[in-house]
Amino acid sequence: MSTSTQIGGNLLTNGLLVAVVALVHIQIAAFLIGASTMAIVSETVSLVRRNRDERHDRLAHGLIKSSIFIFGFGSALAIFFVMFVLTGVWGKFFVSLQQITFWVFFLEGITFLFEIVLIYTLYANWQRLGEHRKARLGMLILLNVVQWWQMFFIDIVASFMVTPNGGDVNILNLILNPTSIVLTAHRTLGNIAWAGAAVALVSGVQYLRVTRRLETVRRTAPATAAAASVGAMAASAAGSEPPEAREARYWDWAGQWGAVFAVGLTLLQPWVGYEYAKEIQLHAYPAWFNMMFGDLSNVFLVQITLLGSIFTLGAAYFWRRMKASGAPHARRQGVVTAMLAFVTLFAALPAWFAPTYADVVTAHLDRPFWQGGLLNPFGNFIPYKVGALFAMVMLALWSLTAYMRANSRDELQAGRVGRRSAVILIGLGATVSVMMMVMGVIREHARQPYLISGELTINNQQILNNQPSAVGGSSGVTDR
Amino acid sequence: MNAFRTLLHPSRVVTVPLRNAYRWFDERTGITQLVHKGLYEAVPHSGGWAYTLGSATLVLILLQLFSGIFLLLDYVPSVEEAWQSLHFLQAQDAFGNWVRGLHLWGAYTLILVIGLHALRTFLSASYKRPRELNWMSGALLFFLVLGLAITGAMLPWDNAAYWTATVVTNILHYFPLIGDGLRQLWRGGTFVGPITLTRTFALHVWVLPFVLFAFIGAHLYLLRRHGEFGAWVNYNTETDDPDKEIGERIRNAEPPYPTKRIERRYAAPKRTVDFFPDQLFKDTAVSVGLVAIIFIAGLIFGATLDEPADSATLTYVPTPEWFYLPLDQFLVLTPHDPLIAVGIFVIVLAGAAAFFLLPFLDRSRERRPTRRPEVLVPALFMIFAVIFLAVLGVNRLYNL
Repeated sequence: MSTSTQIGGNLLTNGLLVAVVALVHIQIAAFLIGASTMAIVSETVSLVRRNRDERHDRLAHGLIKSSIFIFGFGSALAIFFVMFVLTGVWGKFFVSLQQITFWVFFLEGITFLFEIVLIYTLYANWQRLGEHRKARLGMLILLNVVQWWQMFFIDIVASFMVTPNGGDVNILNLILNPTSIVLTAHRTLGNIAWAGAAVALVSGVQYLRVTRRLETVRRTAPATAAAASVGAMAASAAGSEPPEAREARYWDWAGQWGAVFAVGLTLLQPWVGYEYAKEIQLHAYPAWFNMMFGDLSNVFLVQITLLGSIFTLGAAYFWRRMKASGAPHARRQGVVTAMLAFVTLFAALPAWFAPTYADVVTAHLDRPFWQGGLLNPFGNFIPYKVGALFAMVMLALWSLTAYMRANSRDELQAGRVGRRSAVILIGLGATVSVMMMVMGVIREHARQPYLISGELTINNQQILNNQPSAVGGSSGVTDR
Repeated sequence: MNAFRTLLHPSRVVTVPLRNAYRWFDERTGITQLVHKGLYEAVPHSGGWAYTLGSATLVLILLQLFSGIFLLLDYVPSVEEAWQSLHFLQAQDAFGNWVRGLHLWGAYTLILVIGLHALRTFLSASYKRPRELNWMSGALLFFLVLGLAITGAMLPWDNAAYWTATVVTNILHYFPLIGDGLRQLWRGGTFVGPITLTRTFALHVWVLPFVLFAFIGAHLYLLRRHGEFGAWVNYNTETDDPDKEIGERIRNAEPPYPTKRIERRYAAPKRTVDFFPDQLFKDTAVSVGLVAIIFIAGLIFGATLDEPADSATLTYVPTPEWFYLPLDQFLVLTPHDPLIAVGIFVIVLAGAAAFFLLPFLDRSRERRPTRRPEVLVPALFMIFAVIFLAVLGVNRLYNL
C-alpha cells in the first residue's frame, strides 16, 4: 500500500471546490426531499380536517413553489459537480467509482427524470389539481418516493466510499454495505428535520417582516391599530384587522410547525448517528479513529455543540411561545431549556486539551489535567458524553411532548409570540444548516488519506490492478 | 302418535334423542345462556376490522397449542435425542416438516399480530379507566408470548438453539447481585447443558402456557365485563346538544354498555353491531386468512434445523431470531463497561415497565391520539427505535 504524498492542484481545486459545490448541493437536495415529505403531511391534514385547514394548504403549496425555485439550481450544481469537479479534477477516481457503482448511478439518473416530470407537473397544475385533492396527494407521495430512492442510490455510493467491505463490488453487497442503511436512515430523518428548520427560518424572517409592517400600520392608523397590535391579534375581529395581522398569525403558526419537525426528527438523530459511528468503527476503524481521536475529534465537539444547540433553541422557542400564550407549564419549559443548555456545555467538554490524541501521547502528557496532564476524563465519550447525549434526548423529548400537549389542548394562540422568538427560529434554521455542513466535512475528511476507505488513496486517484467490472464479481479495488 | 311421526320423518330417530340430550345438558350447565351471552353482545360499529386482531391472537395461540401437541408426540427433551427426534420428524414422518413449519410460522405471525393488537389498543386509548387491567393482562400476555418464543427457539438443540441458549441465559448474569445465581438456576450449572434443556422445556411446555392460559381467561373475562372500547370515532357526537345525545345513547345501550365508572361521553358508542354475526364474521375471516397463510408458509418454507449443537464450533455465527433483533442490536451498541447493566436492564426494563403501566402513566381524559401527544410522541420514539434497531440488526448480520 502506497503512502500519501502531495498531489497536484491547489486548495481551490482539491478542497474548497468539492466542499462548496457538494455542500450547497446537499443542502438543496435534502430540502427538496424533506419539503415534499412535509407537503404530504400538510396536504393530508388539510384533506382530513373538516374545515380544509387553509394554513396547511398554503404551506404545502409554498413548499412545492420553493422546491421549484431551487430545484433548477440544485440540479445544475449536481451536473456541474459531476462534469467539472468529479470528472474534470478527480477524473481517474470518479471513473473508477463510476465503474463500480455503474447501475446505482444509472438508477439515480432514472429517478431524476421521474422527479423532473412530477415536480414540474405539480407546480404547474397545483391550483387545477386543487379540485382533485386526492390525486394531488397521490402525486406528492409519488414524488417523495422517487426522491427517496434517488437519495438511497446516492447513499450507496457515499457509504461505499466509507465502508467498501474490502472493495467488494458485488451489486447486493454494494447496496447493503455496512453503512448504507444507516446512512439512508440518517439522511431520511435529517432531510425532514432540515426542511422543518428551513420552514422555521423563513417563517421567522417573514414574521419579523410582517410584524414590522404591522407596527407601521398601527402608527399610521391609530384607530385600527388599537385592535391589531401583535399581542391582540388573536382576539381582534376578522373584519377589522389588517391583512398583516392574519399574515403574522400564519407565519407564527408555520414557524412553530417547522420547529416541531426540526426538533422532532433531530431527536432521533443521536440514536441513528451513534449506530452510524458504530458501524464505521466496526468496518472502517481508521476513519472512526480519525473522527474520535484524530484531526476531526475537535470538529466532532463542534458537532455535538450544534446538536445541543438545536435542542436548546427549540426548547427556548417552545418555552417563549407557551409563555406568550399564558399556557400552563411554560415555566417548566424554561427550566428544561436551561438544563439543555447546561447538558450541551457538558457534552462539548473536550476529552484532551490538544488538537489530537496523538499530540497528547507524543507530549507524554496522557494523564488527567489535575495531575498536570492534558486529559480531561469528564469529556470522555464513555460514559460521560453518552450520558449527556441520552440526557439531551430525554430533555428535548420532554420539551417537545409538553409543547405538543399544550398545542393539543388549545393552550397556544398564533400571532402572540414576540419578535425575539422569530430570531430564535432563524437561529434554529441556521444551526441545522451549519450542522449539515460540518457533518459533510467530517464525513469527507474521515477517510483521509483515502477516497475509498482502505482501497484507493487520494494521491493515486486510480486503480492500478484488479480493475473492477461494472457489476458482479468480487475483484476488489486495490491500492498498490 | 310419536311412532307415526317418526315414520313420516325418519331423521327424527336421530334429532329427537339429540335434542333431549342437549336439553338435559343445558339444564345442568346453562350452556345456551352462555352461548347467547357470548354471541349476542354489542360491539362498537366503527373499526370492526381492527378489533379482529384480538380474536386472531387467540386463534393463533390455539394453533400453537395444537401444533405443539403434535410436535410433542415425537420430540425428546434430551441433549442426545432432541435434534435426532426433530430430524426424524422432518425427514421420516409424513407431514412432520409441515407441522414444525406451522409451529414456527405460527409463532412468527402470533408475535406480529399480538404486537399490532397492542398498537391498536394503544391508539384507541382502550386502556383507560375502567379497562386498566385489560391492558395489563394483555401486556403480560405479550411478554409471555415472547418468553414462549425464545424458550421454543432453544429446544431443537441444533447450533442455533445451543447458542441462543448460551446468549439468553448469559444475559441474566449481568443482573446486579443475583445475576450469577439466576444464570446458574436456569442453566442448572455453570455451562449450558442437559439440565438447561430440560428446564427450558419445562418452561416452554408447562410453566409459561399455564400462566398464559390463566391470563387469557382473565383477559377475556375483563373484555366481556367492560365491553370493547372502539376507536374514538364511535363516541363523537353529531347533534347540537351533545349532552342530550349522550343521554339517549346511554338509555338505549345494549349490554355490556353503558360501561360503568367511565366518563359519561365514553359510556356507550353511538352505534353498535351484534358480535354475532357481524363482528364474528370479520374475526373469522381474518383468523382463517392468517391460518391459511401460516399453513402455506409452513408447507413451502417448513422450519430449518441446523447442524446438531456443537459447543466447540469455530465457524458457526450465531444469529438471533428476528423478534429479538432489536434487543440484540441494542446490546451491540451498549458500551460493555460500565454501561452494560444499564443497557440491558435499566433501559429495557424501564421500557417494559412503561408499556405495562401505561394506563397509570396516561391520566388524561383524551382518547383521540392527536390529543394525547404526551404518550404518542414517546411511543413513536420507542417504536421507531425498535424498528430501526431491527433493520440495522439485519444489515449487521448480512455484513458479518
